Amino acid sequence: MIETLQNLLGVAWTPLWTLVKIVLIVAPLMVGVAYLTYVERKVIGYMQVRIGPNRVGYYGLLQPLADGMKLFFKEIIIPAGSNKFLFVLAPVLCLMPALAAWAVVPFNAELVLANVNAGLLYILAMTSLGVYGVILAGWASNSKYAFLGSLRSAAQIVSYEIAMGFALVCVLMASGSLNLGDIVNGQKGAGLLSWYIIPLFPMFLVYLISGVAETNRAPFDLAEGESEIVAGFHVEYSGMAFALFFLGEYANMILIAFLTAIMFMGGWLSPVTFLPDSIVWLLAKASFVLFLFLWFRATFPRYRYDQLMRLGWKVFIPISLIWVVVVGLWMQTPLWLW
Amino acid sequence: MLENYFPVLLFICVGLAVGVVPMVLGKLAAPNRPDDAKLSPYECGFEAFEDARMKFDVRYYLVAILFILFDLEIAFLFPWAVVLKEIGMFGFVSMMIFLAILVVGFVYEWMKGALEWE
Amino acid sequence: MNVESLVFYVFAALMIFAGLRVITARNPVHSAMFLVLAFCSASGIWMLLEAEFLSITLVLVYVGAVMVLFLFVVMMLDINLDQLREGFWRWFPFGAALALVMVGEMVYVLGNRKTAATEGLVRHAADYSNIKELGRLIYTDYVYPFEIAAVVLLVAMVAAIALTLRRRIGVKSQNPGKQVLVKKADRLRIVPVAAEKSGSDRAA
Repeated sequence: MIETLQNLLGVAWTPLWTLVKIVLIVAPLMVGVAYLTYVERKVIGYMQVRIGPNRVGYYGLLQPLADGMKLFFKEIIIPAGSNKFLFVLAPVLCLMPALAAWAVVPFNAELVLANVNAGLLYILAMTSLGVYGVILAGWASNSKYAFLGSLRSAAQIVSYEIAMGFALVCVLMASGSLNLGDIVNGQKGAGLLSWYIIPLFPMFLVYLISGVAETNRAPFDLAEGESEIVAGFHVEYSGMAFALFFLGEYANMILIAFLTAIMFMGGWLSPVTFLPDSIVWLLAKASFVLFLFLWFRATFPRYRYDQLMRLGWKVFIPISLIWVVVVGLWMQTPLWLW
Repeated sequence: MLENYFPVLLFICVGLAVGVVPMVLGKLAAPNRPDDAKLSPYECGFEAFEDARMKFDVRYYLVAILFILFDLEIAFLFPWAVVLKEIGMFGFVSMMIFLAILVVGFVYEWMKGALEWE
Repeated sequence: MNVESLVFYVFAALMIFAGLRVITARNPVHSAMFLVLAFCSASGIWMLLEAEFLSITLVLVYVGAVMVLFLFVVMMLDINLDQLREGFWRWFPFGAALALVMVGEMVYVLGNRKTAATEGLVRHAADYSNIKELGRLIYTDYVYPFEIAAVVLLVAMVAAIALTLRRRIGVKSQNPGKQVLVKKADRLRIVPVAAEKSGSDRAA
């Protein structure tokens, strides 16, 4: 059937088929984002001895749809003193990189949209674009809370990006490739023991915590800081414009979870050698990381800004610099088994 | 090589569309009844005074500048990390000298208190 | 026209448009955003030349880092537009001369048979990685310029701190290291206090 379609469409086939594949990535991602908000409310609810949403549909399962509908029909308010063009552009710029990074994420050995050599570099470049949405939103709103929130957030994001970059460098050293599929294949062998999490454990922690900070999640959610600057950079946003920020944040969370699973936890590889490798493993590992995100939010109090900057610059950067040297030295010896 | 990047370009376009389309639909579907109070910037119940776009601490600039420098360092580390197994000891030592020079700068920052957030 | 040249013309047109808007936009933040667009289109054109590392690094370093600093600076300075425009006609001849020199240089380089890339681009296979090629060269054959790059970065770091660092006076701050190392004995003293009356007396 595919062949007849191919003949029918001719030149237009390749772009159309690629587009179908993109939709097949984006649509489940969007559903995942919607249900991540539901799971978040349920998990944190149970952690705080509440039951969370339970009114809309069975066990509240339709809650995300109801929330989506509500946001959809809410007025998009554009404040009088704001810069209209940039105000509207900011949420789009927030969501775009969070989605575009998925182009190079592999789901199993064959299932990848763009099998590019510089996959990891591309992801780092895309995540570094996320800061624009935040800065522009804060500046364009012409509100003091938004402005303060965006400044804090921007400085925080760039600070933790460095530690993240160093963690990626360690993964690269171990794998010798920027291609995400090759990185997973480099962890093949003795099941769990071949995963990069073993030699790179400090980098795994640095990456995970920086990931939480990059996505402005608790306990690093100073950009929002409900109790002081109300909601930070998106205080002036409403309706779909606000929803886009929300989508961007959760899409980024899922991206970080998948990347952690791919780079440190063997992606779709099975943790034990007698079970087959499958995409199910990848989903399970990513879900586990996402659960950690939620668990952190329910457990830790918010950082103070000076503590946050100290952690990024004075703890993570030295640790990761040292680990780059350690891994480099280690690789020069026959003791390197990965 | 380029055929590998074509889906990436397409994905970026789709990413933009996924951002723009809901905004347009939201604008069309949602009511639009602006009034003065609704459009004024959010503040604690009183009229906004002064411009919200104030000057801020020079420290934020310093963070941004240091970020650029470290970002460049990472850009240098990427190709090195990829070929480390091939270039062996010589490549390793040349990067260690590079890092040592930059660590001098990092230590200077630290001692000067540039990493201190007051 | 094949897809590649189509994409090239789209990127080139975008870049020229963005470049023009950088200098004509009234709002400096708009100018900065158009500069971002120009960098992105330049990155696309480099990608068409199969320079994947340079192309993505352009986005990573220039768009992801340098332009963030630009935006910070542009947003926070109260730039008086009228003042900026005042000197336009006075400096116009100088700028125009500079532009002419640059156009001349480009014509010379592109028109010269020796320097211009007359042969078509060599297309590489899908698994060709110029990051590996770069890596093999930078850290071995070009190790000397590479170390000089480190020194340049060091100078930049020191200069940035010297220019921007201002210590505030009377700042109180905590030392987390000290806080963590505190022992119970440093803070808490349990004083044995003899009970004055027994419980049964008070109850009575």
